[in-house]
Parts: sequence; C-alpha cells; structure tokens
Amino acid sequence: MTGRRVVSIFLPQFAMERWLRAMEQAGNAAPDDLPIALATEGTHGPVIHAINRTARQSGIQIGERVVDMRALCPALQVEYADLQGDRRLLDRLMLWARQWCPWTVTDGVNGLILDTTGSDHLFGGEAELLREIETRFALLGFSIQLAVAPTWGAAWALARFGPVRAICEETDLAARLAPLPVKSLRLTHDTVVLLHRLGLKTIVDIAAIPRLSLARRFKRADLKDNPLLRLDQAMGRMAEPVSSIEEQPQFRIVCRLAEPIQDPAPYVPNLCVDLCSQFEAAGAGCRRLRLMVYRTDGEVSAVTVATSRPSRTAEHLARLFDGKLERINPGYGFDLITLEAAAIEPITLAQHCLDGGSDETLQLSHLIDRLTARYGPRSVNYPVLYESHVPERAQRWVAALDRTPGGTATVPLCDRPIRILEPPEEVRVLYDLPEGPPAKFVWRRQSLQVTRYSGPERIAPEWWKDRPGTRLRDYFKVEDQTGRRLWLYREGAHDDGRGGAPRWFLHGMFA
Amino acid sequence: MPQNDHQHPRRTLEVENLAPNPRTDYVELGVTSCFSFLHGASDAVDLVATAWEQGYDALGIADRNTMAGVVRIHAEARKVHIRPVIGCRVELVTGEAFLAYPRDRAGYGRLCAMLTKGKMSKPDGEWQQKGLCEITIKDLAEHSEGVQLIALPGRDLTRFEAELPRLLRMMPTLRHIAASYLYRGDDRARINRLDRLARTHGLSILATNDVHYHIPDRRPLQDVMTCIREKTTIAKAGFLLDANAERHLKSPSQMIRLFAEWPHAIRATREVADASTFSLSELRYEYPDETVPEGKNPDAYLAELTWAGAHDRYPNGVSEKIRATLNKELALISKLDIARYFLTIHDIVDYARSIGILCQGRGSAANSAVCYCLKITSVDPDLNDLLFERFISEERREPPDIDVDFEHERREEVIQHIYEKYGRARAGLCATVIHYRPRMAIREVGKVMGLSEDITSALARTIWGSFGREIGAREAAEAGLDLKDPHLSRAIRLADQMIGMPRHLGQHVGGFILTQFPLSHTVPIGTGAMPDRSFIEWDKDDIDELGIFKVDVLGLGMLTCIRKAFDLLEAHHDRPLTLATVPQEDKGVYDMLCRGESVGVFQVESRAQMNMLPRLKPREFYDLVIQVAIVRPGPIQGDMVHPYLRRRSGNEKIEYPSPSPEFGPPDELERILKRTFGVPIFQEQAMKIAMVAAEFSPKEANQLRKAMATFRAKGLVSAHKEMMVGRMVKRGYDPEFAARCFGQIEGFGEYGFPESHAASFAHLVYVSSWIKCYYPDVFCAALLNSQPMGFYAPAQIVRDARENGVEVRAPDVNFSEWDNTLEPISPGRFAVRLGLRQIDGMKKPASERLVKVRYAPFTDLEDLKSRAGLDAGTLRRLAAADTFRSMALDRRAALWQAVALKNAPDLPLFTASETRDEGEDLSVELPSMPKSEQVVADYQTLRLSLKAHPLSFLRTSLDRQGYISTRTLSNAYHGKRVVLAGIVLIRQRPGSAKGVCFITLEDEVGVANLVVWPKVMEAYRATIMGARLIAVRGRVQRDGDIIHVVADHLEDRSDALNRLADTTMPTPIARADEVKRPVRSPHPRHPRNVRIIPKSRDFH
Repeated sequence: MTGRRVVSIFLPQFAMERWLRAMEQAGNAAPDDLPIALATEGTHGPVIHAINRTARQSGIQIGERVVDMRALCPALQVEYADLQGDRRLLDRLMLWARQWCPWTVTDGVNGLILDTTGSDHLFGGEAELLREIETRFALLGFSIQLAVAPTWGAAWALARFGPVRAICEETDLAARLAPLPVKSLRLTHDTVVLLHRLGLKTIVDIAAIPRLSLARRFKRADLKDNPLLRLDQAMGRMAEPVSSIEEQPQFRIVCRLAEPIQDPAPYVPNLCVDLCSQFEAAGAGCRRLRLMVYRTDGEVSAVTVATSRPSRTAEHLARLFDGKLERINPGYGFDLITLEAAAIEPITLAQHCLDGGSDETLQLSHLIDRLTARYGPRSVNYPVLYESHVPERAQRWVAALDRTPGGTATVPLCDRPIRILEPPEEVRVLYDLPEGPPAKFVWRRQSLQVTRYSGPERIAPEWWKDRPGTRLRDYFKVEDQTGRRLWLYREGAHDDGRGGAPRWFLHGMFA
Repeated sequence: MPQNDHQHPRRTLEVENLAPNPRTDYVELGVTSCFSFLHGASDAVDLVATAWEQGYDALGIADRNTMAGVVRIHAEARKVHIRPVIGCRVELVTGEAFLAYPRDRAGYGRLCAMLTKGKMSKPDGEWQQKGLCEITIKDLAEHSEGVQLIALPGRDLTRFEAELPRLLRMMPTLRHIAASYLYRGDDRARINRLDRLARTHGLSILATNDVHYHIPDRRPLQDVMTCIREKTTIAKAGFLLDANAERHLKSPSQMIRLFAEWPHAIRATREVADASTFSLSELRYEYPDETVPEGKNPDAYLAELTWAGAHDRYPNGVSEKIRATLNKELALISKLDIARYFLTIHDIVDYARSIGILCQGRGSAANSAVCYCLKITSVDPDLNDLLFERFISEERREPPDIDVDFEHERREEVIQHIYEKYGRARAGLCATVIHYRPRMAIREVGKVMGLSEDITSALARTIWGSFGREIGAREAAEAGLDLKDPHLSRAIRLADQMIGMPRHLGQHVGGFILTQFPLSHTVPIGTGAMPDRSFIEWDKDDIDELGIFKVDVLGLGMLTCIRKAFDLLEAHHDRPLTLATVPQEDKGVYDMLCRGESVGVFQVESRAQMNMLPRLKPREFYDLVIQVAIVRPGPIQGDMVHPYLRRRSGNEKIEYPSPSPEFGPPDELERILKRTFGVPIFQEQAMKIAMVAAEFSPKEANQLRKAMATFRAKGLVSAHKEMMVGRMVKRGYDPEFAARCFGQIEGFGEYGFPESHAASFAHLVYVSSWIKCYYPDVFCAALLNSQPMGFYAPAQIVRDARENGVEVRAPDVNFSEWDNTLEPISPGRFAVRLGLRQIDGMKKPASERLVKVRYAPFTDLEDLKSRAGLDAGTLRRLAAADTFRSMALDRRAALWQAVALKNAPDLPLFTASETRDEGEDLSVELPSMPKSEQVVADYQTLRLSLKAHPLSFLRTSLDRQGYISTRTLSNAYHGKRVVLAGIVLIRQRPGSAKGVCFITLEDEVGVANLVVWPKVMEAYRATIMGARLIAVRGRVQRDGDIIHVVADHLEDRSDALNRLADTTMPTPIARADEVKRPVRSPHPRHPRNVRIIPKSRDFH
C-alpha cells in the first residue's frame, strides 16, 4: 500500500503543439490544412519526430525517414525539431505544475508526474483536479491525457492506455491494470515483442504467470526490460517516489511600502545593495536589471537598464537608473517596488594589479554603461575591423553593449592610410600619364604635382554585394611636391566597358 | 562495359585544323586547373581554348599535388597544337610551395613516385575525399633530380628569404623563384626584392600569373570555391578571397608588358618550358612479362594457347571458318603488339578457374574468336556472327576492352590475386572523377551565398534527374522563387557554372591497370577508401586517351548463383557441369521460358521481360539474345519492340528500304538487318546502318558511337542527325525512314546492348533457365545462398520453387546449416532445407559452431547452448525463428525456454554459481499460438513463411466482401471489372513508360499485375507508396495469356495485416521495388558492384 496519489500527464502532441504555438506567436500561424512534420537527424538522414493532424491524415508516420514520407506526400512541410527547446519548455511546465502540488517531475520527453497526495481537496477532489489540469493545459495550447493512481507506473499506464481522466483507487488497482497491454508497463520495444511472441499480451497475462518463472527469465534484465519489476512498480510492490527538483534561484528584491509614495528613487540604492548581496552569495552578476513599480490603481510600470559586462556593483547599478525614474508616471503613488535581474552570468574575481588597484577597463565599461543608459543603446558604438578589401567597408560600428569581448583582430593585408576621406573627393587631372597616377592634379583648389608613386593596388568590386556595373579601382600611393603622401585611386579602367573615361579620386592621407 | 551512372558528359574541344600559334617569348607555367579541387575554377577545355586565342604555343599545367588533370590538358592542347608542359604544383606539409616541371620521362617518374608516397602516407584513402597528400621537404629533395623546381614565395618574403638558403642546399635543381604581378600595390617593390634575392643566390626570377581561372569573369566561381573549401560564406570570407580578378590567363604580350623591367623573368619561362621536354605521349605502355614463359615470344605463345584452346572448344575439329577467323585475329593482334594483353587476361581468368571461381567475359570481347578459345568469353563464334572489328580495329587507335565478370561474392579474391601477383607497385585500379551534380552544386553554392536552407532545398528539389545540366527559370518559378532577385539569380548562375566541376576522385568499380615497370612512375597512386585497394589518379577516359589498356574485373551475382548450383548438382545429383557443358538448345527450357516462368532467372526475370517472353516465344539461343536486348529503354523508346514482334509473328511484311540503284546494291540494309527481321535491335546494327546507308567513315561512326554512349545532352547528337539523315536522303532513302532510323539510333543513346554483350548475357540466361527447369530444388537453394541479388526477395523465390513442386522445409537447428541445403526425400528427389542464413540477425560464426558440434542431435536448448557455445541472444533468435520443431518445441515453448537460459561464460569455476537459485523451472501453461500469429512471426524472423500465406486468413472475409483471388482473375474476360487484394511485391515506374506505375500484388494463390495510370497514381499516391496490403478496383486487360488489372481505385488495407497478430507485419518486398530501394542513390558514391541493369529514373 503506497498511500500516495500520483497524477501522470501525457502530452501526446507536445513537440508539434509547441511548434505551432511558437509559429502563432510569431504571427506566422501555419494553416490547418498543410501537412507539417518536425524532423530529427537519424542515422540514415532525417526522421519524422512529430506531425500535425493533416499530416497524420495524409498517412505520415512518426519514426519513418523524411525522404520516404515526402514521396508519400510531396506537399509535406518539414521543419527541424528543437529537442532542447522542448526539453526546456517541459522543465518550465513542470515548475508551472507546482500550482497543484509541491512535488512534480518530468517523465520522458512528453510527460509529467505530479504527486498530488493530500492536495486534491484544494481543488474540489480528484475529478475536479484532473479537469482543472486539463483545462489549464488546453489554455496553453497543449492537449493532454492524464490519470491519477496510487503509483507512478499505474498512472502512466492509465494516462496512455486507459479511459479519459482515469481515477484509480488503491483497491481496484489490479483490476484496472489487468486489461491494459504489456506496452503500458514502460518496457522497451524488444521486450514487448518478446512478450507478444510468448503470448503475453496484457498485464493480466503476466500477472498470471508464476512469479518464480518470470524471475527465472528476467532476474538480470534492466528495469526497462524487466516486466516483473515494472509490474511491481505499477502495483505498488516496489517504491518509486516522485523526487522533485529544486527551482533555479531567482534574483528578485521586493519592497513593500506602508504608504503609497510618488518617487521610487530613494529606494533604488538599497534595493541594489540587497540584490548585489544576493549576487555575491551566488558568485554571479547581471547584465539586465528591471525595476517595476506597482501603482495603487493597479497599473504597473517598468524601467530596464543593461550593462556591457556582468556587474554586481550596487553603486554602479543604481546610477544606471539616474534620470530614468522621472519618466514613470506616479499617478496616485505606488506601494510595491520590485527589482529583478536577468541575463545572469557568473563573475570570476581576478586581481588585476599587484597592489590591488582597480582595472582601467572596468572603469571604461562603467562609463559605457552609464552613457548607454543615458543616451540609448544606439548612441554608444565601437569601431571594429572588418575583413573587406574595399577600404570604406573595412570597418564597422557596433553598439557598445553588443560587443563581444576579445573580438578577432584582423589586420588589413596592405598598407592603409591613417585618415580616410568619406566620401572620396574627386580630383581634376591636369596632366595624365598612360600608366600610373596623373602627373599633376587639382584637389581642393590646390594644384599638386606627383613626384613619386607606388602601386597600383587593384581592388575589384565585391561582386556579391555591389551593383552590377560597379567599376574596379586602382589605388596609388603618391607623394606630392611638398612631401605629403596621398592615396589616389582611379575608378574604372579605359577598356572595362563600364561607362566613360575613368575618374580620379583622393581617398586618404598617409602620415 | 560498366554502366557508370555518374559519368559526366565530358566536354572536349570540337575544332579541326587550327593553325598552330607561332612561338611566343612567354609561357605560362603556374596554371591551376579545376583538378586542384576547389582551387582552380576552369577546366582544361576553357584553359586551352583561351590559351590558343591568346597566341600561346605552349602551356604549363601545375595542379596541387596531383596529376589528375594533366591528361585532359594534354588531350585538349594537342588538338590546337599547343605543347602541354606537364608539371605539378608541390605543396609541402610545412607550407612551402613549388612549381615542379620534369625535364624528361625519368623526372616525371620521380615526381609521380613522390606524389604516390604522399598519397600512401595515410592508409585509409582519405586523399581521395580531401585531396590530402603529405609531402615533406625530404621527399621533394629525394625526388627532385631531373625536375626543374620553381619556388613560390608566399606573402611573407622575410620568411622566404630566411628559408631560401636551406632550400637551395637541399634541392640543387631549384633554379628559379616565381614572381607575379597581381596588382597588390607593392608588386614592383616585391618583384625587385625577389630579383635581388635571386641574384644573390645565383638564381633567376620567373614570371607567372598564378592562374586560377581562364577569364576574369570566373573570379566569382573561384571565390565560391574558396568559401566551400574554407567552410564559410561569401559575406564572412573576407581576406580569404582575392581583392581582384587578376589571376586569369593573360596573353604573352600582356605579361611581357607587366614584366618589362625584368625581361629575364620572361626569358626564364621559355627556358624552363623548352627544357621540360616530357610529353605524356611518351608513356609507352608496357605489359607485364610474367605471363609469357621464359624464352618465348608472346605472339607465338598466344597462338599456341589459342590453338590448344580451340581443340578443347571444338573436339570434333576446328572448322575452316573458325580457322580463318583465328588466323586473321592472331595476325592483327600480333601487328598491334597486344598479345600480352590477352595473355594477362587469360592468366587472370585461368587463376579464377583454378580456384573454382566462375567467370565470363562480356562486352565487345565476345566478338573475338581468340577470346572464345582462351575461354575468356563463351559466345561461340561458329554459331554467332561476330564482328571482330568492333573489338579491335586498326583505324580505331583505341585499346580493346575486355570486361570479365566474376562471382560477386569472390571477386575480391581475384582482385587480391592481381595485387599479389603483380605487386602493389604495378597494379592499380582506375579512379572515377566525381563531379558536382546539380543538387550538390546548388546546395553548396547556396550555402556559400547565404541562402537559407529552405530556399536551397526548394531549388534542389526542382532539379529532376541527376544530369539536367542547368537550373532553368521555369523550375525556379515552380518552386516559388523569384529569379528577379539579383542575389538569387547570381547564386543560380554560379551553381550552373559549378555543375560538372570535379569534386573529388572516387574509385572505379574494377578497372585494373597492370604494368611491367612500377606503375607509380607512370601515374601517382593512392590507397583506396576500401581496405587493400590502391587507385591511380586517372579515370578510364584518361587511360583511353593515353592508350593504356585496362582489365575490368567485375562482379556478377548470377555467376555466384550458378557456381553454387553446379556445386549442388555435383554433390547431390552427381552431375558435374560447367558453363560450357550445360546441354544446349533444350526444348524444355524454352517451353518454360515461353510460359513466362522466369522467377530468379538471369536478366529475364523482371516483370517487363516476363511479359515479353510469352510474346516473343524464344525457341533458340538467338531468340534469347534478342530477348535480352529488346527489353531495354533504348529499343522501347525507339519503338522497335512492336514492329519486331509483328514481323516475327508474320503479321507484318518484312521489307528493307533500299537506296537509289546508282548508289549501291538494293540489299545493303537487308544484309545488316536480316537476322532481326529488319528492325535494328543491337548497337552494331545501328552503327552499320550509319556506315552503309549514310556512308559514315569508320571514324565518324566511332564518333557517333561515342556520342550515343556518353552524351545524353542533345547538342552533339543533333549535329550527327543532320549528317546522317542528309546523307541517307541523298542516297535515295525515304526521308521519313531516315529520320526513323536515326530516332532508333538515338534510343540507343540511353541504353542499348551490343549484340556480343547480349549474347554473353543470353548464355547466362540459358544456363540459369536450364538449372531452374530441370533442377528447381538446386536452383532455389543456390539462388537463396547467393542473396542479396536479382529481382526478388527470398519469399518469392521460395514460393516459386514450391509452385514448381519443390518441397521446402523450415530451418531447424538439427537439420539446417548456414547455407540452404538439399535433403534427400527418395533417390533422386530432394527437398530444400532452409539454412540458418535466412534468419534475421543470425551470424555466420555462431551457425558454423552449431553445425560443427552436431555430431548427435541436440536434445534441448541447454544442450545446444552448452555444446555450441551460443549466447542467449542467438538462442532467442533461433527460438523466435521456430527452429526447434525437431525437439517437439514450437516457437513459443522454445522461446520461453530460451529466455530462461543465462548468458554466462561456460567456465568450470562458474558452473557452481550457474545452478539455479530459483530451483527447478515450473511448468507454465502459455496460451497456444494461433496459426496467424505463427505466420506473422515467421515473416518477422525469416521474411517468409512456409506455414500459410497471410492472405489465407483473410480470405473468408475477402470472399464475403466480393474480392476475387488471383486464380479467379486468370479466368476473367477482357474488360471485366474486378476487385482484388494482395500484398505489395514490387512497385516500378520505368523511365520508358511515361509515368505509368506498375505494381505486382501477391495473394495466397498467385500474383496479379496492376497498371496504374499517372492520373490514378497521383490520386492514390500515398496508398501506393505506403501500403503493404492493397485492395484494388479495376478492369481486366487481356493480351493472350498476359493479364493486367488497370487500377481505378486503390485502398490501403495494411491494417488488416496488422490485425493478424496485433503487431506490425512486415511484408516481403522484392529487391526490384523502386520505392523501398530507390533506383538512383542520392549520394555520389560509386556503386561497389557493377549494376547490370542500368537504372531507370527516379520513382518520385
């Protein structure tokens, strides 16, 4: 006698329903009449993992190869299944299910187990509880089958092979399980086939075999191949407790106020200090912070700030809210403030200087955070080198907050001037030479004479990016009569058939 | 004649009589062709054509650590009178790179030996996939004698400067440093620095443009290749790509202008080119000598063997006709000096015979009486009209091609014998160049161009066959893609260029090259991806080009079957036979074939062949030759089948069009076509029509043959069409007739058989039919023992045997061996005992152990387990397959006991602990197993059941629903509407049938053939592709004894099968089924065993 009540929840369409829900949320809901399948990589190419209703009606079968099924139904749309995403969502659902009882675990890839011993009365009895669970899942967009029984095994079997919302009492456990197929004992396919060949097709068939004979044959088999142990589990002769796992810690500070107030600013530093002490205990820091104020009239406002690297300096975090809190409309005031951290990353402490002094770059990141908080993420940018032969494309700006630390440093292959004119300035050629740069040209109304040059460096347009008809450039390093070194280029060649005579531009100056 | 499915139509220059270019001062030596896989972006044709236009008189070729592309350059360059300078670009594992140009044959040999060493360094044949070749500086130094080396400085000149003295010390033949003017900004400074460096060391710089493509427009393709190689996308590739498109082939004058300041760099190129005099034409092929006994002349020895063989072949004396033929052939062989080639093949065939491997030559070799006398082929020239000219001809300066089939299970023994006898250094298999096919091209280019996965797969899906040469706008629109998007259309254009580029080298199925001197001095060799194989870098076209002879060692499943049948005949029926001594022209055999009973028989067992047999009614050997040749896509598409049948049955007058009298004798066509009633059926006939009626010269005819064989693209064929039709009309033939003739020839372009080939096959058809006809028991056992092969699954073979009165017995641990065996019933009568090999998952060693210890019958499972040392899994498998009946245990009881046995080692120490702690086993009453479940379990474990047919359990219910059985069907009149149900055996959609799908269903009494028209096919696609049991409604179509059901409505009733035992019931699908076994493998891998039946098109 176990004395426990276990609910088994089976989500037969879990992966597909999650995918459909995600598509719907993305505003890209898949039409009902389109056969859709999710696939995973198998040993011989992708294999069907989940299908929607239309696909099932078209004869698509789970576990078959995608190519075979495509041949069967050419209209089949195949997407890759996100197994990890499914896993994560199931984990979240498991926590979410703790609204009904404190002990919940996931069961396989598409099931949940709830130990509802003693908590069903809160919902008006087991029948009501099951109905409530089913309704709540349906609202989330998941169809489920579920059952409650004294053991995990029995609940599992009844949820999958029993009647709708089966409720099995301890006294009729054996009778309820008897007609179910051996498959419902959570056995591997091979064992099920073996039992079938032996003529043992239902649980009652197995129960009828003398225990000794079964033990003789399955004593050493693993649990998942062992009908005897599985039957014992289902019948409650062998314990199988629901061992619930702990939730991830949440970094959240709640401040309840006795009186509604108008300005949250004075509370922020203390909230940050409290939060940072939590961080310190966990050895982590955050890159996003959200302050929420709950107004007495039910309105909620939120302010979010971000940092460029994980931080747990209370003072610094508090300063990021400067000037942002005024934007909150206090209305009649608010009586609840929460501070939540997101994007938690571990911080490893490292001493940077022998004398224990602080690190310069840390200061810089604080500055970046403050500037970004003040002027918006698009206002603070970093230049990064980018691998392109075209000079004006050789660098890019990225938002400081998005910068990944320690990016690849790429050095241009050829000499580049210290200053580049953007855009290049056209020069007027006074005296042209057949090869090389012009001997004399006018730039910004100065007449310059080329005394020395090197080149050309030919840079062709990036064919995958540039408009067709873009001309190539021949770059020359030239030195004028005063010793200034300039970077000139000729756009196009005489015989390239892309427009008229080539034009000359000045693109930069060397030191 | 291996049917090589992934052969890409090879591009060649079609030019005649171009004037040679005058001698130039500059020769480009740094040319990288597309055989530097994913480096070079232009093939030999483009490079050579551009070089000729630009006025080159010589062109160097230097691919990265490979000689794979040199033959193509050599062949193309000679056409336009450019001297190919053969070399290679050596890249060392340490990063240094050189251009290497051998001065002479010896230098070339050393270079090849070095590359061989590099490719052999890894034992697993990785080089073929990845172009891996590990050469160290020491290797290069050791092989550098007679090789002019040109150092290629990298970007880092300082490093190069530091290394140079060491390189010079090691390699005295390093006399030049390559300098390139590639518009990188610092070219002048760089070249000057290299020049100074060269002078200090007493070297010279040498100008090269480091050519990677023939025209600047190819730069995008080269960039894409770089991205594929580096596994990145075009947007992320950055500095991996070149800044400009300057690495194209520049004209000599352009190069001279660029290097105006360094005239000695230009001079150096000419000097190097002139000093390397080696040409691939010098590769004189030397046959191995050991096939000729000491002190004998090969010609005389061949003649000796031939005449000796002739006496064996014709014990009643050699006829005058044969004598004359042999003399003629021997004279020609002697004249062409290829006697040793015949001796080599004779030797291989002899070896195979000596260890009891059946073999038979096929292809054009069967045209030779010498080959017949040497017992290489088995088509008697006395009975058949053979064309020796098709095999060897003087004007066709091409090597003869002798393909020999061996038993597929033992072909490896022959291959290893060749390696053993001639040594690794002297024997190698041909390579096959794997080209980019459209799907692969669009996938890889799409990935590089950053197209999303769904777009590329949508594009790839639009490509139907594997060799549609381009991706058309229509197909793209079909896939819902907008070609106006410039990025997409650019990707498609690039993919288009990519199609046909070589991707890597694969292994030819069995083309052997044997030489007298080490092969590694002729061509680089590498270890193969299969163990114990080594492969040369050239493919079969390259070898043909150079006039090197090869031997095709191929595998054929039917030979295995026949050999096993001969063994059984000798052992049980006391009737020793060989391929040659099977009684000829037996009436019973032809009677059987006329009834269309050919399950398991070689070649004529397909459904199309089976339907043809009762119509063609073969009565003699030559009818079989036609039967083999006529049911082919070629004759079917050329619409030759029906005219032939009509004329044969006398329903149509046989007439031979004739030319105007002034042009030739009126019976010129009759002479060619008489044997086939005026319908061209064989390839030779088509050729002869072209030669006689259209007066093609032998050379032109040969071109036509090649066009037919290799080009499926229409371009070249249409030129021939004009020529042929035009000439025939001019000679007074009816234009319509001429066009029809060409249409028929065109049909052969797909797949036609030469007569000799068909004759070789027909021989095997006859032999296998004879065995089937007189010894169905032997045939059944041998066929099962040779699986997998042929069209049918074991279930159908067994069923056929039982229908022919053979008793087939279930496998049993006390009677069965690994193979299927014969058990005597009464004197001269035998039953087939199924072997343990029929059991799914059974391993051969376990079964051999079992047989070895069966000195007395096994009494129970424990006894079997302890004596044979079987593990629990095997015991369970045996029990599940119901092999314990002789111990009076049915499947269920045996399995119940088998599960109880422990899987423990049989050591004395542990026997004590083995004693059961549960005590004696209690007897348990298990529910008895109904017959339907037994049958399903049989199918699950053996894939066949001797107990009953699954449909027999459903018959009562089927009868009640009005379904007829196939027995009733055989009496149905034409046009009758019927409903019937059966298990799906084969689904086929042959390319020649215009989308019609053929399905064969089976019920407990026989089979029914369904015809599904494309419209019905579309409507019931899911049923056809997925169902195991189909219920069909349709009309009966009768044509003599041939009955089809034209389907109107199909229904998937697999559920009824599953209900037989509450579990999935697998059905035995024939091997020829095109759904379960798609005819075209999606991966560009080479077929390990040659396909005899060329594949038809994809099913979907």
